[in-house]
Amino acid sequence: MLSVQMIYGLAGVLLFTFALRVALSQVAFLRRVLAINVAGAGLFLVFISAAYKGAGQPADPVPHALVLTGIVVAFSATALAIALARRLHRPSDDD
Amino acid sequence: MEALIWTVFDFLLITAMLALGWSALSTHSLRRGIALFIAFGLLLSLVWVRLRAPDIALAEAAIGTGLTGALLLAALRDEESAAGAASTEKPKNTIADYLLIAATVILALILGWALIDALMNRQYSGLANEVFTQLDRSGVTNPVTAVLLNFRAYDTFLELAVLLVAVLGIRSLNVSRRPYLKAGLVLSGLTVWLVPVLIVISAYLLWVGAHAPGGAFQSGAVLAAAGVLLRLSGYHGAGLPARIVIRRALMIVGVLVFAIIGLGLMVLGRGFLEYPLAWSGSLILGIETAATLSIAVTLIMAFLAGETGRAGNQEDSSC
Amino acid sequence: MIDALIWVILIPLLGGLVAVLFPRIAGITGILSTAGMVFACLVLIKLVADSGPQVYLVGGWSAGLGISLYADGLSSLFLLMTAMIALAVSIYASSYFRQSHLRLHYWPLWLLLLSALSALLLASDLFNIYVTLELLGISAVALTALDGKRPAVEAAVRYLVLGLLGSLGFLAGVALLYAAYGSLDLATLATRIQPGAASWAAAALMTAGLMIKTALFPMHFWLPPAHANAPAPVSAALSALVVKAAFYLVLRLWLDLFGVSLSGGVSTLIGLLGAAAVLWGSWCALQAERLKVLAAYSTVAQIGYLFIFLALILEMPVGIPRDEAIAGLMLMALSHGFAKSAFFLSTGIIQQRQGHDRIKELAGAVQGMPVTTFTLALAGIALIGLPISGAFLGKWQLIDGALYLHDWLLALVVLAGSLLASAYIFRVLGQAFGNSPYPTKVLSIGMQEIPAMVLALIATLVLGLASGPIWPFLEVTVMSGRAGM
Repeated sequence: MLSVQMIYGLAGVLLFTFALRVALSQVAFLRRVLAINVAGAGLFLVFISAAYKGAGQPADPVPHALVLTGIVVAFSATALAIALARRLHRPSDDD
Repeated sequence: MEALIWTVFDFLLITAMLALGWSALSTHSLRRGIALFIAFGLLLSLVWVRLRAPDIALAEAAIGTGLTGALLLAALRDEESAAGAASTEKPKNTIADYLLIAATVILALILGWALIDALMNRQYSGLANEVFTQLDRSGVTNPVTAVLLNFRAYDTFLELAVLLVAVLGIRSLNVSRRPYLKAGLVLSGLTVWLVPVLIVISAYLLWVGAHAPGGAFQSGAVLAAAGVLLRLSGYHGAGLPARIVIRRALMIVGVLVFAIIGLGLMVLGRGFLEYPLAWSGSLILGIETAATLSIAVTLIMAFLAGETGRAGNQEDSSC
Repeated sequence: MIDALIWVILIPLLGGLVAVLFPRIAGITGILSTAGMVFACLVLIKLVADSGPQVYLVGGWSAGLGISLYADGLSSLFLLMTAMIALAVSIYASSYFRQSHLRLHYWPLWLLLLSALSALLLASDLFNIYVTLELLGISAVALTALDGKRPAVEAAVRYLVLGLLGSLGFLAGVALLYAAYGSLDLATLATRIQPGAASWAAAALMTAGLMIKTALFPMHFWLPPAHANAPAPVSAALSALVVKAAFYLVLRLWLDLFGVSLSGGVSTLIGLLGAAAVLWGSWCALQAERLKVLAAYSTVAQIGYLFIFLALILEMPVGIPRDEAIAGLMLMALSHGFAKSAFFLSTGIIQQRQGHDRIKELAGAVQGMPVTTFTLALAGIALIGLPISGAFLGKWQLIDGALYLHDWLLALVVLAGSLLASAYIFRVLGQAFGNSPYPTKVLSIGMQEIPAMVLALIATLVLGLASGPIWPFLEVTVMSGRAGM
């Protein structure tokens, strides 16, 4: 169980840091948004790995609830980011 | 032997997921990157199932991958038509970039070490025990639903507010999307069949969330997917009610019902969102139903980027 | 009675929902909601003053399983400041947006931002804090981009991206702490936390994430464009309240959670960054050509002072000097909140009258609007930290604390910052003395000018002269804090 937690958790760390690097560098805006989403996914992976209790037992449900919340929040932020970018590209007629 | 198979499986799964994540962010074409991101998301859903988190797998597939992917693709389509697909990526060989790479490597090492340290030296095993001992007082048997809608309902309440605020912000920007062409035979045929099925699945997920993986978020996301599908097939309204007042009401009904139930319980002398044992199940179902409607409507509106049913109308749009 | 905690959060939230459904009465709803919020905060303060810190278990579940809310002197004072500034800004905004179609979008977002602030100030659960941070961040970004013009939207995009990165850092820390110690509740974690890789990494991540959100040098660059290009009532709230909320979290985390067992070189680093913020922010404010840009950089500098305070507090052993330093920090934060919001609101009045806020061309407008000029002057006094303002007492405490720790350099930085502040404030006020025509009316737009003036008066007179009774209340906070208990 511990090894499963660790390999998935470390995979999450890798995703998180790599995506963070992409988000901080000079890339196109949509790519940055993508990177933030992947970084979030990496963090969620860390949370859920720590919640895993082995094949026999049910997992710890609290991190599951937290990650569920996190997914929705991430979507909200992404949607707002995209709408803002869109406003920059094409201001609407009643400016 | 079984352990070995699992290990190999884990290894393959993780490698595939990391490879997809890396290439999604590194590939030159944004379109390919988004497609790879969607694939990454689906693999991530498998990982969630592997880690015994089926509720999250549902939500990830529906919201994290499906709706986000659709949103990103729509954004890319708009961006390309507006700006002529100019790339703003700068060459990658400056010192700052190397420093950044070095910093993230160090960060990864520190985090990895911290995580290993945390996992190996744990003295406290988390809140699982408390959840399971109190589960029969929560009104549902699905522990994740119990946490979301009872023990930590306040967080869910605020989270619905986050979704609402994001959509309010989006609609204030008044950015309308170009409508899609009316679908051809295959897509419209598919839509006619698929949308009712999605609605039924959504209702099922809402109902079953009390004792199996599922719940308001998954249900709302599936319903939103039906709306997005309608939109992509050329139905401009995406299934939303035409009257503005009803749309506004649906947007807020989730947060509102939560607040009203919480307040009502306070008036009755209990605490905010402190459900009486006998009513827990029904109250939770009631809140979840309202939340499903709100979630579906707000997710659809986020995808529409706050636009009306009528293509030409820009002034004080969607609501 | 304890329900006051929940009411502080619910009142603006319900107001926001009403504002979505019934946009026509949105302005009235806003003013009523903020008034209700002030009332609830007063009830809360009375409660805390009488019976000490209040804990509220939402849903009735115990502190590990459920989410708890916590109100002590620190949070309730910040809450009262938030509510009072909110009321003033709401009155102002109902006039400011009268002609504008933006008011449709402003009120729901503004009221929900307020509920986010209340929820954040009362939160005592790590993930709950994360959710409130996101609610706050998203509503703040949406408000920044409210007028839809290019500079505002660009600033909003940058604010959003950096804010998200900050939140991710915070969440990473939460993940580590939960993995290591199995709880999300601050009080429980405080008893379990030990120095170790996980705690250190979590502290670093969470602090770094919050530093971005509070615009501490060098992560401050998103703030000037955002605050300068937002509509005036929004800028007031952003500078006075939103960045403070992130600082409040840093303070809370270090006092109640990390500060107990970790420390070391952190305080030196924080002190250095704070000093850099003071000097750099004040210098840029001096160069600013627009009033709003000046005010935004001034906020960067003020945040620096707060972090210098924090650095000193972390170094001090638990005792009277430390308590006094914390009280001084709060006085400074409160004073800045009132003063900066008054400053931004006045700038808004000038901007509406003249069409711009360029400092060199202020003379005519400023002399034609005596109340506004008076407000600017008072606010300026509080920002510099001249006597009779709350900030004066605060800065006095700061220098006192620095000298107590024999940190001459920090004391010097504070003095230098005050000097620079005098320079940039008097540069603005100097425009008020000239040959332009006498003012014919005292008040031009009462509904806008009066709230601004009241805020400035609070920053100076109330917090300065009348802060006597407040001081012991501030000290009660500190001693009933959980750290070391």
